[in-house]
Amino acid sequence: MSASGSDLGVGLARDLAQDPAQDLDALVPELEASLTAAGSEQELEAVRVQFLGRKGRLAGIMSGLPKLALDQRPAVGQKANQVKTKLQELLDQCLARLERDKERAALSRFDPSLPGRSAWQGSLHPITLITQEICSAFVSLGFDLVEGPELETDFHNFEALNLPPDHPARDMQDTFYITENTLLRTHTSPLQVRTMLRKRPPLAAIAPGKVYRRDSDLTHTPMFHQIEGFLVDTDVSLADLRGTLTAFVHRIFGPDTVVRFRPSFFPFTEPSAEVDISCMLCGGTGNCAAAPCRVCKQTGWLEILGCGMIDPAVFTAVGYDPEHYTGFAFGLGVERVAMLKYGIGDLRMFFENDVRFVSQFA
Amino acid sequence: MYLSLNWLREFTPYEGSAEDLADRLTMLGLEVEEILRPFAHLKDIVVGRVLERRPHPQADRLSLCRVDIGQVHTLPIVCGAPNVAQGQLVAVARPGAALSDGKEIRQTEIRGETSRGMICSEAELGLGEDSEGIMVLDGHFLLGRSLLKIYDLDDHVLNISVTPNRGDCLSMLGLAREVAVEFNLPLNIPSARPEAWVVEEGASCADNVTITIDDPDLCPLYQAGIIQGITIGPSPRWMRHRLLAIGQRPISNVVDVTNYILMEWGQPLHAFDRALLAGERIRVARAREGQSFTTLDGRERRLLATDLLIWDAEKPVALAGVMGGANSEVTRTTTDVLLECAVFNPICIRKTSRRLGLTSEASYRFERGVDQPGSRLAMNRALALIRETAGGKMMRGVAASEPRSWQAPRIIFRPTRAQKILGVALAPEFCRQKLEALGCDVNAEDAQAWRVLPPGFRLDLEREADLIEEVGRCHGLDRIPATLPKTARSLDWLESLAPDTDFRGKIKRWALGCGLTEVINYSFISSQDLTLMGLDREPVIALRNPLSEDQNVLRPMLAPGLLQSVRQNMTQGNATLRLFETAVIFLSDLAAETGAREPSRLGLALTGNRYPEAWPWPAEEVDFTDIKGCVEHLLGHLRLPEAVYVPLAEHPLCLPCAAVSLGGENAGWVGRVKPHLADYCHIRRGLFLAELDLNLLQRLCGHGRSAFRALPKFPPVRRDMTLIAPLDLAYSRVLETIRAQAVDLLRESILVDRFLPEGQQEARLTLRLTYRHNERSLTNEEVDQTHHGLCNSLTTLLPVRFS
Ligand SMILES: [Zn+2]
Repeated sequence: MSASGSDLGVGLARDLAQDPAQDLDALVPELEASLTAAGSEQELEAVRVQFLGRKGRLAGIMSGLPKLALDQRPAVGQKANQVKTKLQELLDQCLARLERDKERAALSRFDPSLPGRSAWQGSLHPITLITQEICSAFVSLGFDLVEGPELETDFHNFEALNLPPDHPARDMQDTFYITENTLLRTHTSPLQVRTMLRKRPPLAAIAPGKVYRRDSDLTHTPMFHQIEGFLVDTDVSLADLRGTLTAFVHRIFGPDTVVRFRPSFFPFTEPSAEVDISCMLCGGTGNCAAAPCRVCKQTGWLEILGCGMIDPAVFTAVGYDPEHYTGFAFGLGVERVAMLKYGIGDLRMFFENDVRFVSQFA
Repeated sequence: MYLSLNWLREFTPYEGSAEDLADRLTMLGLEVEEILRPFAHLKDIVVGRVLERRPHPQADRLSLCRVDIGQVHTLPIVCGAPNVAQGQLVAVARPGAALSDGKEIRQTEIRGETSRGMICSEAELGLGEDSEGIMVLDGHFLLGRSLLKIYDLDDHVLNISVTPNRGDCLSMLGLAREVAVEFNLPLNIPSARPEAWVVEEGASCADNVTITIDDPDLCPLYQAGIIQGITIGPSPRWMRHRLLAIGQRPISNVVDVTNYILMEWGQPLHAFDRALLAGERIRVARAREGQSFTTLDGRERRLLATDLLIWDAEKPVALAGVMGGANSEVTRTTTDVLLECAVFNPICIRKTSRRLGLTSEASYRFERGVDQPGSRLAMNRALALIRETAGGKMMRGVAASEPRSWQAPRIIFRPTRAQKILGVALAPEFCRQKLEALGCDVNAEDAQAWRVLPPGFRLDLEREADLIEEVGRCHGLDRIPATLPKTARSLDWLESLAPDTDFRGKIKRWALGCGLTEVINYSFISSQDLTLMGLDREPVIALRNPLSEDQNVLRPMLAPGLLQSVRQNMTQGNATLRLFETAVIFLSDLAAETGAREPSRLGLALTGNRYPEAWPWPAEEVDFTDIKGCVEHLLGHLRLPEAVYVPLAEHPLCLPCAAVSLGGENAGWVGRVKPHLADYCHIRRGLFLAELDLNLLQRLCGHGRSAFRALPKFPPVRRDMTLIAPLDLAYSRVLETIRAQAVDLLRESILVDRFLPEGQQEARLTLRLTYRHNERSLTNEEVDQTHHGLCNSLTTLLPVRFS
């Protein structure tokens, strides 16, 4: 026992006696070796404690300092500080390396193909989209937007528009009545009357809105949307109407679309015309890949709107002098344009509001 | 209206193709919807002679025939008709030919006997009603010739959509006139055939019938002709074919003539069995209120005093201009006929026809106006045709009463005005030639202002504008140049424009950004739904003539429509919905011109998932905070001040529900749909609705003008406070109390956390208060002092404490 104890004591004494400066120098390569093996921050911390901890290697060497001769102490102390700085530097480098590795590892796992935190998609109804598109086309041509009530008087909806009671043309517009004298407007044309009663020419306005007819089958819904446009001044001609509508059709359906004016009849316009455009599906040929075109039923034409020169009787009804003023008016069905533009086959889908349908358009 | 080209060619020598005619008529305003070949199937039906007929050995009712169709081999044909006989000329469908119903004939074996074709009946060929026996051809025809050729049935028929102003085009003659004008062809108007017009045959018609017209406004002209001793039978083949070609069913010679003239001249006629008329009097007079009358379709009609009747000396015999009576109808046994050719008031006829839901070819034409001067010609032609087809003796002349003759309106036509309206200069000579071809009498002595008299068949030509349309139409509306108008606008007009559309556009853009889907519902809902939804307490606006009970009232709120949308989507399995709708609702207001106000509303509906169903979003369901968040977000989007939300105990649709109040005004409501209504929408999870008054929001936005506020120059200091409050203390009271302290430096208070410790009737509310001085930086000490002061006030004013 005593012998071994003395051995230990002798060993320590010898170590100390040997050269603390040398011991200090040896710490640096030893630490370097330990650090190479350190693969994580925990291991690095263990190494730090082993070398720089309160009971670590450096502290151990320094604890022998008092045994040194006084003249040796400053040199060894200085040495110890240098080594300590060096050790700290190595540890810091190692820490930086570990962090770099960690970041690199993280980057290698970065997967931009994973979904983002994407919010809900909103959507506007196709009728809204087409209405906005059409209105902006006319606004750019100098028309202003006007609105009016959906419940109308017989006067605004019919009489002032040259549709006296028991006129056969009232058959064209099967009407929902509220009372003898009030009804759901059957077209947006009452806006002509309301606007003209309120204002003097010149005026150019466009009026979008819901209209109602007592009709429901595959190609009719009891409610649908129209856009009415009209322009009144002292020298407006049918040629101006043609130009305006041609510009509009080219805006909405493309500049290659052919426009056709066909005489027709509306009580509130004279002359009256229906406007056809060349079928966009078959290009006006009536056939698609040798099969009869189902969109235009082989005619090559699609009816798109009704129009005409405002009838003198309408001017009289609103107190305009029909000798002094001339003007044109037109009305088009928004659903029809939407069906043609988007290729929708079934009118009824517009009001079933299946979100899988109404969210398809932008 | 059907136009037969064969018939047309009687009046004008049009030799072009049906397709070209269809295009030109369409561009003339007579839209051709389709071109038909009514007898095309007869191409393969040929003339054959029955050479031999013997009984079928296996079947009593069948015959074995050998038929010669002019070829080397005769055809063995098994025939089931009782009237087939040797020597007859018959119509033979060989294998491969088709009948009028499209059925194709094949070689078959009938009870052991080969049959190589079929001997056809009129019905099978679409040439008549007779299906009892085979059609026996009278006359001499070459064997093997097609029926199409021998009867001249190779016709094209145009189906034309005639606009309501063009009553004159509801006849072959009227359409022929348009064709003649368009193609510059002559028009040959058929006159009564003089050889049939034998006046010496009997007594004067006028001596045998007296015509009385009570009201000339309702009947300006009534004519009656009488033919005695006629024989009712089928009309001649050519006439039946003409009628069949345009979709009219042949009935008997007399009735067919009336239909023929109606189609040819557009003049409705009616034939009475004279033996069934009492007395020798015809009177045109109104019905008695409530009187009943049986029309010849066998239906009893209840009449009003506004309906017009034709009476004999004792009883009504026809509903004028609409339909004859069953009591005086021409039958197989009729021998004497009184033929009516009259003109009735369009509005009167229309009212009766509309009210009774009884539209006839006659009423359709009377409603659109018939040619009064032309009706004499039509009458003469009709009488001549009846005599030609049914025999008999015609009384001399026609009894007529015309209390009011037709006067052409005098119209001034100014070529310069036409140019101004049409935007194209048309040569005066062109205008004159076209107006005359259309039947107008033109006096152009004053080159600036022509005097034009339109013809009696163009009742739509009343004013200069109508004539301008005519010359424009003849020139071709499609050939008018395209120019852009100069749109002059006045400043005061611009200022009066309603910005409603713009505001709704802004709302829609907000909703789009918020991830909401727009729906558009019908404005009408069912009154049953209203009851279900508890909305039947207020007066609603009902339709007088709804299409169905599902759509019989106008919605007083958007919610019922939105609930329908939710319901429809649920049945399609779309379980997460974020819907919005902007529309007007209809509120009864007797002071309003239309009896209603139409305020504009925004409706919102949320149900299902709070977030898209995808990583990294958590799976959560929407609750009240989501719908309220939408409302707050919209108000914030519009930069409106914060709203006040107050519980609404009595809401028909939602529970819980909160009223949204803005500056003391009711801006709408927001809530959770009651369970029974959610059930109705097939929803088991929460369904949340909100409805806001867009007119109010728009007004508060004041034309969307926002005002700039200078940015703060000094930093804020924030302090949190955590209140322990009883659960029944509304958060709004905390906020109000804080605000009521009018702390100078306080700029903002936000609830940053709300914690409900388990098992306690208390909530821990953490508020973050922001303090700032506009002129200088604050010190911690003064903020602490203010903050503590505020905390102390709260503990005294509210049942709260601090942890
Ligand atoms: Zn096409």
